[in-house]
Amino acid sequence: MAQFLQFAFTRAVMALVTLLTVSLIVFTLMELVPGTCAERYLAFKNTQGSQISIDDIKAEEKRLGLDRPFLIRWGSWVGNVFFKGEFGDSCILRLNINQLLADKFWISLGICLAALFLSYLIAVPIGIVSASSNSPVTNNTLRFVSYLGLALPNFLLALIIMLFSTVVFGDSLTGLFSKEFRDAAWSWAKFQDFLSRAWLPIFILGWSATAFALQTVRALMLDEIGKLYVTAAAARGVSGSSLLWRYPARHALGPVINSLGFDLNRIFNELPIVALILTLTEAGALLIEALARSNDQQLAGAIIFLLTASIVALNFVTDILLALLDPRVRRGLMG
Amino acid sequence: MTGKNVTPPRDDPDRAPVQQPEHLDAYGVHGAEGTAPAPGMTTAIAAEGGGGVFGWLRRKKQAGVDEKAKEAYFTASQGQLIWARFKSNRSAMIALWALVVMVLMGLFAPFLSPYNPTIAGRDANYENGAPQIPKFWDENGFSIRPFIYATERERSIKTNFRWVMTENRDKRLYLQFFVKDWRYSFVEIDWDLPGSWLDVDLKLLTFDRHLFGVEGGKIHLFGTDASGKDIFGRTLHAIWTSLAVGTLGVMIAFILALIIGGVSGYYGGWIDGLLQMITDAIRTVPPIPLFMALAAFMPDHWSSETRFFFISIILGFIGWPTLARRIRTHLLTERSQEYVLAAELCGASSSHIIRRHLLPSFTSYIIVDLMISFPYMVRSETALSFIGLGLKDPVNSLGALMQNVSQADVLLNYQWYFIPVLFFIALVLAFVFVGDGLRDASDPYSGTKK
Repeated sequence: MAQFLQFAFTRAVMALVTLLTVSLIVFTLMELVPGTCAERYLAFKNTQGSQISIDDIKAEEKRLGLDRPFLIRWGSWVGNVFFKGEFGDSCILRLNINQLLADKFWISLGICLAALFLSYLIAVPIGIVSASSNSPVTNNTLRFVSYLGLALPNFLLALIIMLFSTVVFGDSLTGLFSKEFRDAAWSWAKFQDFLSRAWLPIFILGWSATAFALQTVRALMLDEIGKLYVTAAAARGVSGSSLLWRYPARHALGPVINSLGFDLNRIFNELPIVALILTLTEAGALLIEALARSNDQQLAGAIIFLLTASIVALNFVTDILLALLDPRVRRGLMG
Repeated sequence: MTGKNVTPPRDDPDRAPVQQPEHLDAYGVHGAEGTAPAPGMTTAIAAEGGGGVFGWLRRKKQAGVDEKAKEAYFTASQGQLIWARFKSNRSAMIALWALVVMVLMGLFAPFLSPYNPTIAGRDANYENGAPQIPKFWDENGFSIRPFIYATERERSIKTNFRWVMTENRDKRLYLQFFVKDWRYSFVEIDWDLPGSWLDVDLKLLTFDRHLFGVEGGKIHLFGTDASGKDIFGRTLHAIWTSLAVGTLGVMIAFILALIIGGVSGYYGGWIDGLLQMITDAIRTVPPIPLFMALAAFMPDHWSSETRFFFISIILGFIGWPTLARRIRTHLLTERSQEYVLAAELCGASSSHIIRRHLLPSFTSYIIVDLMISFPYMVRSETALSFIGLGLKDPVNSLGALMQNVSQADVLLNYQWYFIPVLFFIALVLAFVFVGDGLRDASDPYSGTKK
């Protein structure tokens, strides 16, 4: 037990350090975007008729604390995020980012997690069967389908489905909510409406994620399936699916579970593009808006940071789970 | 060589289509040999059909000269063994041919495309025009030379004052080969990088011959886009651009991965811990938002060439962690081998040991990984261009071409805009299949993704 606690503690510290590093990367990126928040805000005011001067910009920078050195600003940004959970105000929209993101981030995360879950639900059994299958037809078909998932870009799949549904059903299936629920508070009816529309992005995101997961599972299984302990188990008379699931599958799935966080990363990676096509209103769409259109560095930084934080958290949780299940992992880390 | 050589051959159901199991016995002893074929190779070679390095070998074997076959097998270099195994994989071979064809198409794009793919080569009389397929006969009779019909554009009270395109079925335009049209050069460097001393303007191998064209008109095999640019020419050029972005990105990522993974794996300890922390942090940040943040940093006034290099460099700087991690894991297990100790005792420097001893033991794996990471680079480029942050319209990249597809108007009326997408899918599939074939042929290690 002590060993396990020590493991969990080490992992938690490592996760925290990763998160700090990531926050530094994110913050640096935000700084790289040309122009500062002050300029952007005043430019926005300028469009409303008020004249601004260099002095105004200086004063605004001072008010926002932009005249302090880089590392101190990073420190205060991270401090606010870690201790108060505050991301500050958006540069352009002049709204509190926490309010802006509250629902949207959870919706995005939910969609991504659902896609992740869906992809492994399909990929694990098929990957295991495919690795143990002798038939070249099965194998080649599976390979082709899974590679198509890699080759067919998500946005194309989204476009094709949209076109199809417009022609066949007369509904383009875009957006996340129907008209009547768009601004309503969360309720059971709204949730149902959400589900009736969210399946499409989940399916599209799951499509290529499944292809990737299938390849991983299959490759890992192929490595395990030839090992001596499997032969030994077969010699003892274990056969059929119990031979697969009880021996090689248990070992092959370890690395899969371990990399769930990075899979979430890959899925989220595609979300902004799908969001763009399906005109979704969640964090991915906000991100693309903040980065590609309005250069809103505060908002973009907050979204990327929240996302990486959830990836780090998922990695941490899976590591702990793995360590609970498999003592070798604990020892591997502690040396 | 490394420890992989002494591993017993695996009975791998997928990789070894065991068609002639009787051959296995003849080669089954290879595990003990010093020349060291990788595990699993024996079965593939036994199953390999005819032709090439092992074709004659097998014919001789059938004639009863068993010893020679054995000798050829045991003295074959690793490259020959991999190639023999690769060739037995039919889907990988098809993919390889497709890839070669597409790369050649990209390389000779200016020669193959009859018209300039930029706005300079637009066909103002044929905007949003449908693909024109050359034919050999029609109701007016048969022609040995393929032809297309001339088109006429008309706007009058009859057409409700809209431009309407009509085909004149009496006027044939015959296909011609090796016609003269716009000038192009195969080596064309016209960099306009920030700072005047970096500017390069170089034109070599300039020609103006093109493979085909029609007399007295223009032919558009894949149709034209809204401004009358030839989609056929654009597609071919786009393949080349996307491949070039991918190559540059892969090269940068590769070098970074070699250095970082090599150092991290060889030294281990706290250096490894620190580098892994950075690697993990970079792997944690999702690439597309990272691209987007960096692309937002890219000023609008940059020329398309500058953008091109910037995009490749970003792709390269983000693509290294996976390979670096694999190299590190490999080196961590490999560095305690005796040959490393021997090299150390001989006084070899660390960088010499990494470069000359450790990394070569990993070459086949690295090649496979490069091959597989290629489509990801191309995909990232398309995704980025698709959002409008990557390469923009004057540059013909597959992503820029795909961006056109997303308009509803195009989806419903001008389906030939989809043709570049088919090429993209074919390109990615070809890469993945070749990479996979190579992995199956050369993979003595795990095929893990992580």
